[in-house]
Amino acid sequence: MSFDLSLIAEALPKMLVGIGLTFQLLILSAILGLILAIGLMLMRISGKWYLSWPAQVYIYVFRGTPILVQIFIVYYGFPQLDFIRDSFLWPIFRDPFGCAIVALTLNTGAYVSEILRGGVLGVDRGVLEAGEALGLSKPQRFIYLTTPIATRLALPAYGNDIISLLKSTALASTITLMDMTGIARTIVAQTYAPYEIFISLAIIYMILTFFIQKLLARIERYLGRYAEREG
Amino acid sequence: MTSPEPLIQMLEVGKHFGTFQALKGINLNVSKGERIVVCGPSGSGKSTMIRCINRLEKHDQGRIIIDGIELTDDLKDLNAVRREVGMVFQSFNLFPHMTILNNLMLAQKLVRKTPKAEARDVAMHYLERVKIPEQAGKYPIQLSGGQQQRVAIARALCMKPEVMLFDEPTSALDPEMINEVLEVMVDLARDGMTMICVTHEMGFARSVADRVIFMDTGEIVEEAEPETFFNAPRNERTKLFLSQILKH
Amino acid sequence: MEVLTGWWDDFFWGSVVVLKVFLASLVLMVLFGLVGAAAKLSNNRIAQKIAGAYTVIFRGTPEILVILLLYFGSAITLTAIAQIFDPEVKFLDVPPFWAGTIAIALIVGSYATETFRGAFLGVKPGSIEAARALGMSNLQTFIYVRIPEMWRLALPAFGNHMLSLIKDTALISIIGLNETLFVAKQAIGSTGKPFTMYIVVGLIYLGFSTVITLTVMALERYGQRTLRTGT
Repeated sequence: MSFDLSLIAEALPKMLVGIGLTFQLLILSAILGLILAIGLMLMRISGKWYLSWPAQVYIYVFRGTPILVQIFIVYYGFPQLDFIRDSFLWPIFRDPFGCAIVALTLNTGAYVSEILRGGVLGVDRGVLEAGEALGLSKPQRFIYLTTPIATRLALPAYGNDIISLLKSTALASTITLMDMTGIARTIVAQTYAPYEIFISLAIIYMILTFFIQKLLARIERYLGRYAEREG
Repeated sequence: MTSPEPLIQMLEVGKHFGTFQALKGINLNVSKGERIVVCGPSGSGKSTMIRCINRLEKHDQGRIIIDGIELTDDLKDLNAVRREVGMVFQSFNLFPHMTILNNLMLAQKLVRKTPKAEARDVAMHYLERVKIPEQAGKYPIQLSGGQQQRVAIARALCMKPEVMLFDEPTSALDPEMINEVLEVMVDLARDGMTMICVTHEMGFARSVADRVIFMDTGEIVEEAEPETFFNAPRNERTKLFLSQILKH
Repeated sequence: MEVLTGWWDDFFWGSVVVLKVFLASLVLMVLFGLVGAAAKLSNNRIAQKIAGAYTVIFRGTPEILVILLLYFGSAITLTAIAQIFDPEVKFLDVPPFWAGTIAIALIVGSYATETFRGAFLGVKPGSIEAARALGMSNLQTFIYVRIPEMWRLALPAFGNHMLSLIKDTALISIIGLNETLFVAKQAIGSTGKPFTMYIVVGLIYLGFSTVITLTVMALERYGQRTLRTGT
């Protein structure tokens, strides 16, 4: 049970092959999740019960259940339903990659919509009133005032959610996908060297987390340049 | 006043927040070029009254007519009215994410549909008028409170309004910045702008106002020329209020 | 719902396992969080560094990886030690219950570290100075002023940590803990109804989440009330 460095040297390139899949899962579900989140948030703040109520139920269900269960329902569960097998969406649900994207998107969308809502509610009412007094219409106020200010307010929490999403992509390995974690689990099953493999993989994830944080801090600085007194 | 029809007409206007009656039976006519100062204790309805004039609040009794257009739920009329009425807030309410110049240009482009170059010229013209053209490229937070409020006045003026409403424009300012804002307002009054100012700056009221209005518990209690208002107030509540405010 | 006949008992006992893991990990999570926060706030630079590394590692690594590492890592270590005494031993592991409980407590504890630290720093110096001025000792100030204010500040985030814990219990099924997701897998094996079974699991978790959310809401109301009446 010594720590075998040559094993790491051998396993690292193999695991890094899966980084492409990890990135695909992360980026695709982040983008789709954001679109879903914007829709849910708009429904939630619409002030119409028949829009806000379903959005609220959706958010409640997806935030109240484990993402692993959501992934299993989509991947193992949906094929039990005839209407899904017969629908044009079947090619997506037959494919583990499609299922992972669907589950991650549905999950992150629920969390991000609440983050966006927090940003929108955080916009100073006085600023919106000033826009109203100047004659800006409701959509104009939303596009030119609420959206940019809320984006800035929501960004730190959004960054945390992106990191959560990165960590959730590792669960794709439970439905046969060979992302970095999937490959690592295969190697451990063969070599029985959990320390070497899992620790080096953990370090890779930490490095990715670090770069995501750096990138978001940079975006935050750029969007928040108006919030600094010196400039 | 000789003008046949007042620019602003308020007839028996009332306003409720829930069961609380914020305004009752307000009758007020303001002619073109008139300068009105509104004062009164907090909660007297003075802010609510001027917010009703550009419909940031909806009145629920009586009628309000601005330049011949009655304020109703008809959206088209509302936008026409808001173009006529400029508003300056206590807390400036500049758009924090835009430079000063863009603060002044946004509504011109979106509401007046002014071409960009022209909007920029108009913006710079009014920034010069409030004496801070050099701040055009900065963000609001980089300016002092007095400067921000002057920008807010310039922003409203860019829309070329017929009337300017001021809702306690100097209450949120440090004492040393109050004068620079008042100077801009005096300047504006001299040029013949129609103004309704909610303020407790009694010096400003004395030197600029055509009429001073005192409000309490949602009603206009007293209405007089400044000379009469300050020297010979008739109502007891006015006297009490003046004695309190002039002690400071 | 006929397919569920015969499985209700198993799901019930699976839920009991979820509850047990939750309660055990809750205690550990609070412990890790408090120790982590104390270390971060201490003047000891080594303690600060260790606590800093702890939060970076467990917030940047996928949950599933922590669980796999702790379980297989401890198993291989235990087995090696056991073989020193008895070469006949093939495999010895830390029970999945404890490996999993410790893993999720470590993960969520790293988030709780920041929550507790923030709450501790969020207590207004004025209240503490006032207590000192009244002649209260350090310990009395801590117990009667700091702790009550602190928990009120920490409660909303702490509620989210509890929700994370309950949802993370699902991940422990991966190393063979017989909780609800594990029960569902067996039920699917004999009934062939994955959608039905996983939906049942989802509903069980939704129930747990609801109870936690309502409890936190009640506690928050209680905290607000003491704040208002000053008792």
